[in-house]
Amino acid sequence: MVAPIYIIATLLGVAFALGLFGKKMNSMAGLLSVVALGFASFISLEWLAGFWLYDRAAEYIYTAGFKPPFSINLLMGKDEALFTSLINIAGFFGTVYLWDKLKKIGSNGYVTLMGMILGLNVIIMTRDLFNLFVFLEISSIATAGLIIFSQNLKTIAAGFKYMLATGIISGILLLGIIFMYYFTGTLNIDDFLAVHSLAVKGFGVAVFFVLISIVLELKPFPANGWGLDVYESADSGIAAMISAGTATASFFVMYKLLPLGTPQFHMVLAGIGLATFIGSNLMGLKQTNPNRLLGYSSIGQVGLLVTILGLSEFLGERTTFIAYSILISHFLAKAGLFWISGIVKRSEIKEWAVLRNNRLLLILFGVFIFTLIGFPPFPSFFGKWDLVLNMASNNQYFWIVGILIGSLLEGVYLFRWLGYALKLDNAEMPAFEVKWNKVLPIAVFGAATFVVGYFVSSIHPYAKIINYIPLAVALAFVLIDFLPVYVKNTLAILAMAYYYYYLYPTLSSFGAVFGAIFMVGGIVTLIAGYAFKGQRRGFYPFALMMFAGLIGLIEAKTTLGFFYAWEVMTVGSYFLIIRGKKSMPHALSYMLFSMGGAYLMLAGFAIASVGQFNLDMSTLSHVLVHPTWVFILLAVGFLTKTASLGLHIWLPGAHAEAETDVSPMVSAILLKAGVFGLVTLFLAMGDQLIGGDVSVIYLLGWLGAITAVMGNLMAAFQEDAKRLLAYSSVGVLGYILFGLSLMSHLGWLSAVSISVTHFMFKSLLFLAIGGVVWRVKTKEMYRMGGLIKRMPFSFFSVLIGIIVLAGLPPLSGFSGKWIFYNAVMAKEWYLQGALIFFSGMIAFLYTFRLIHSVFLGQLKDEHREVKEAPFWILVPQYMIIGVLLYFSAIPNSLLKPIGKIISPYFPTGGLEWTGQHAVSTYGYWNGLVIFYIVIAIFVTVLVWLIINNRKAQKVKQFNIVFAAERPFKPETSHYAYNFYAHYRKAIGILVEPKITGWWEGVAEWAHAMGDKFRKIYNGNGQSYLIHIMAFIVIIYLISFGGF
Amino acid sequence: MQLFSIEYISLVVGFLILLIGIWGILTRKNILKMVIGFSLFDTGTHIIIVALGYVRNKTAPILDQANLQTNTAQKIVDPVPQALVLTAIVIGLGVTALMLVYAMKLHNEKKTLNIEKYNDLKW
Amino acid sequence: MGTIVTKILYALLTLFIVTNYGLILSGVVRKIGARVGRRHGIRFYQPYIDLIKNYTFRTRITHGIMYYIGPVFRLTGGIGLLLFLPVIYGSPVFDNFSFAGDLTFVLYFQFFGVLGMALGAGESGHPYSALGVSRGLAQTTAMELPLTLGVLALAVQYHTLNIHEIVAAQQGSILHWTLFTNPLAAIAMMLSFLAMMGRSPFDVVLAPQEIPIGPPTEYHSALLGVLQLNRAIFPAAKLILFMNLLFGGATNWGELVIKTFFIYMWSVFVGIAYPRFRVDQSVRWYFGIPLLIGVAAILVVKYF
Repeated sequence: MVAPIYIIATLLGVAFALGLFGKKMNSMAGLLSVVALGFASFISLEWLAGFWLYDRAAEYIYTAGFKPPFSINLLMGKDEALFTSLINIAGFFGTVYLWDKLKKIGSNGYVTLMGMILGLNVIIMTRDLFNLFVFLEISSIATAGLIIFSQNLKTIAAGFKYMLATGIISGILLLGIIFMYYFTGTLNIDDFLAVHSLAVKGFGVAVFFVLISIVLELKPFPANGWGLDVYESADSGIAAMISAGTATASFFVMYKLLPLGTPQFHMVLAGIGLATFIGSNLMGLKQTNPNRLLGYSSIGQVGLLVTILGLSEFLGERTTFIAYSILISHFLAKAGLFWISGIVKRSEIKEWAVLRNNRLLLILFGVFIFTLIGFPPFPSFFGKWDLVLNMASNNQYFWIVGILIGSLLEGVYLFRWLGYALKLDNAEMPAFEVKWNKVLPIAVFGAATFVVGYFVSSIHPYAKIINYIPLAVALAFVLIDFLPVYVKNTLAILAMAYYYYYLYPTLSSFGAVFGAIFMVGGIVTLIAGYAFKGQRRGFYPFALMMFAGLIGLIEAKTTLGFFYAWEVMTVGSYFLIIRGKKSMPHALSYMLFSMGGAYLMLAGFAIASVGQFNLDMSTLSHVLVHPTWVFILLAVGFLTKTASLGLHIWLPGAHAEAETDVSPMVSAILLKAGVFGLVTLFLAMGDQLIGGDVSVIYLLGWLGAITAVMGNLMAAFQEDAKRLLAYSSVGVLGYILFGLSLMSHLGWLSAVSISVTHFMFKSLLFLAIGGVVWRVKTKEMYRMGGLIKRMPFSFFSVLIGIIVLAGLPPLSGFSGKWIFYNAVMAKEWYLQGALIFFSGMIAFLYTFRLIHSVFLGQLKDEHREVKEAPFWILVPQYMIIGVLLYFSAIPNSLLKPIGKIISPYFPTGGLEWTGQHAVSTYGYWNGLVIFYIVIAIFVTVLVWLIINNRKAQKVKQFNIVFAAERPFKPETSHYAYNFYAHYRKAIGILVEPKITGWWEGVAEWAHAMGDKFRKIYNGNGQSYLIHIMAFIVIIYLISFGGF
Repeated sequence: MQLFSIEYISLVVGFLILLIGIWGILTRKNILKMVIGFSLFDTGTHIIIVALGYVRNKTAPILDQANLQTNTAQKIVDPVPQALVLTAIVIGLGVTALMLVYAMKLHNEKKTLNIEKYNDLKW
Repeated sequence: MGTIVTKILYALLTLFIVTNYGLILSGVVRKIGARVGRRHGIRFYQPYIDLIKNYTFRTRITHGIMYYIGPVFRLTGGIGLLLFLPVIYGSPVFDNFSFAGDLTFVLYFQFFGVLGMALGAGESGHPYSALGVSRGLAQTTAMELPLTLGVLALAVQYHTLNIHEIVAAQQGSILHWTLFTNPLAAIAMMLSFLAMMGRSPFDVVLAPQEIPIGPPTEYHSALLGVLQLNRAIFPAAKLILFMNLLFGGATNWGELVIKTFFIYMWSVFVGIAYPRFRVDQSVRWYFGIPLLIGVAAILVVKYF
């Protein structure tokens, strides 16, 4: 073990030595600095390894041979090892990144940099308060020096504001320190901790001044304008160091001094942190400068960390795990993002589309953003989970709400930014220069997010039992992304098939049904992928990630596992959705609704875990506190995915703009994740009552019925074929919600069987329509028409699809309707039931419109030569049609097994089967006989017609009775646009986009709020100082004034 | 602590200077005046430090005086604040110097020292 | 095997009787309508003549497969509806295939032919066909809501969706008819019935008097013949359904003819008395009073 004092000695020595270097020796100086920082990193990492692997004891370093209080002492413990490692690594890679810049500046630059890193190291290790002050000042001065590496008006002004602010702050720190000394006669932190119990009023004030200045160093809202300016103006490499280095070190100081504060002050601290987290992210909404945006995010994240520290009384021994996992995520991600920003060199986030020119950087950008928000498998995911769980177990719901709102706001601007990078047009933009020394640090930090994520999950008692293999397989597809599409498609199908084969014996109950939808459905829709040419980069990792998440839901043994899988699925599906050409805004709203839903679920799971001995899914069935809330939170979380009315606005765009084979994946398969969640929830918790008498499930039943009507109505008024299908999914998911809400055998039978058939007919329709769109290059139905002549196979698919969708006998869709009638009767939900049947009628409207406007009516001139949809898109369609026809003729092949699965939970009121003859309490129905009879009549009539109408002459398109005119212009005689104009006139008022308007209003309001708040940052350094003073006064009054 | 004792007076004076400094920083628009305010703020702090370390009727802890060679602890004022203040003065000097450099650079950019003119970065 | 053959033969017999009845009924009603309007009117057997004329036309054209089988769908729907209904109460012979599905099935099966026909008409490419379909579908959704509520009220009242049992429960006295035991449901359903029959004021779908419009616009010769056949069978089947649900069913053919005739006359009277609705008007109308009556029917059976 190298003594930690060598960190200081090395950095200091090199810094002094560099002073001797001449102007011509810049490369030498740089090399020496990098080596020095590398050595410092090595020392701290070695210590870290020692603590972690060999359980070493912490070591004190005493200077000048005396023990405190007569000397300054440093401590190298586990925490210090970790934090100095972070600082030195940031320093090392930061220097590598800044190589060119520093080389231009020369040895002075290196000296300044060394000084800063040195200062931060000592800040972390020192146990002496005055020493802390000194090195804070050293690193501040060094930072101020670094800021003006690039000298322009902005950096100089920002640097001056920084100087003023930190000068005042450290003055106050010094005052606090000296009074602490005055009252105790020591400067040693450990001694302070020992005498803390003797605290007198004056000492408390002194401690307050010390702590408040550390808080101010962490840039609390709103006294942080100076920090933002620095982040915005400084060179990205420097900003990275400030964000990753200074913020990390300051956080550690707060962590170290935390025990000095009273519990009351800790709550104030938590409040400051939360205000910062929410305020900063709110103000970030309107920000368009990438570095300033990162500054807002950085300040926000540090605010979150301060909150965590303030709440340490509640978090107990998990504080460290939570804080560190979030801190390290932030450390890696923020440094990485600033570094990327330094390469891209764009001052508008909209111009980041240029990032697409470099695939690696784009991937890393995505990785960092997901790390920052806290998605699996990154460390902050587990930190946030534990944070919310522990807060729930202490009844601290206020904090949960605040933290989740703040995270959501952060998601808004980060995902918007990611969307810009992924989708906006970048044709006009010149490529940017990429040097290896700039990419290397980013890549290392990017890889580290995964490594640390893995490490964190392996030390988490519940995360370590999650099955990470599916996710790993999905990620492995990144490595073979260069292969042609047919190879990857085959591999993906094989992987899914193998996993299903492996999983199949373990599946039971509803897991088996939904497993089949997810896995078999996945395989079937993947087949369509053969239609694509080239490499189709970036598709397979995310498709498989989505399926990995879906599988994970079924496999989940714990609530953490479930939530983890849910988030994995969300990530995968987000990237699938955003692949569409015009998907950017829709993917964003999908992501935001998903995040919102996920946070509600997180809160629900957290409250459910209160007082439980483990996190098993089964704990949901005996929730100890606030079961109604748990139920509502989880249910609403799932409803965001099933797109129930009010939470549906993301769906139409997301599904409609997606690629041909992605639409069925996200519409026919992904939505079922929400259904699976509801099934799990309803089974585990049963019904819950609000205020003791209003049943939640009763309300959900109404919601389902209204969703069904509204979804279908909106579908009927769409001009865009895929949007129509998307709204139709909203409607069908409404049926399913209604069916589940019936909480009876038949209700569930219909809901689950519709889940299965919806997968089939919606895949069928989306594939068929997707195939048409593929050929005709438009989604507007009125631009098509008469395509039955060109695409008969697709027509047949759509025909079967809509018959099943509309629930017309004799195909299998009818079974759902029939069961519904019986279920509604049994439950006595007549009015809701009537709505459901009404929505079924409306389904006729849009199904007819779909098939007519696309395939019937007048063929357009430009489509006369159009070809049938690609073969590989037709293949899965006809597989599905085969199964649908089988289910239609032999309905009990589907209904009986599902009935068996439902029976244990709802033993009474099932169907009596005699062959294919089903009998319920109210009626009866024999699918097979009907099938035969209808076919027999049909054939008879057909034969009769053919006999009477032999040799009918085929006529051309325009040979119609049209007021003695032959309409040679198909555009004017294709009755398709605004097909149900009269219906819209009658009841169109119901589909006014009120809900979309409401959500847009919310978004606008949040943005306006953020814009209003950020006006306090008026750019005047003096105002920032006033903020600081006012902040101190207000916090003082809150802490001592009994506010 | 006695009223009108040297340590009390210096403490009060220290605080006064400190407050004047803060007042200057917060109200003067001229950057140089702000830096002077900062200097006053620093100086006030330093006086407070020294005042807190003073013990009545004791001498400075400079050990080369002959009469301090025995029973040193009873004869000197608290040496720690004295040491601290030296460090603080040095740091304050460094900070002030850097601020002045910044002031100069700012003036070079816009030919004005009015802090209100340097608000290009905001929101 | 024998039973199946017998079943089929009896089904054909039912079909034969009902077809003739339907043809004569439509002829008679047109005659009555003419006389009320002080015109001489057609001969009551005119529908037979039309039918024969159409089947013997020699111009035979087609716009494509879907166009060709559209009428097949339509007639299959009509015949199917008839054969899935118990026609004569207590007669196993004229029970036909009603063992295959209950009231729910019958209600949904109505649309089989309608939509199939709509598709066929669509392929013709004539905008009026599509226009007619769009009007028809829109009106149907609105009309269906009071009907559904009424049917649910009936099902609650009789505690079954089995048409046999519903008819059985109405036997014994005229006062046992649903019309009298559950008047609100009956009113709601009879209001929906008006649009089902496609007569004024709900006849803008076909607009039969003036221009050719609606799904059959492009049909002619045998194809139109098939549709005409259906126009005889399908309304008759619907009449039988309403007779079974609301008017005690029929124990013999005579009773059936009398009851269905009067049920039909309800729509005829209304049609002659009221002018035509536009579709948006009819949709709104159904969402008004009929809907409220339907809801009231449900509330009454649920809470009283």
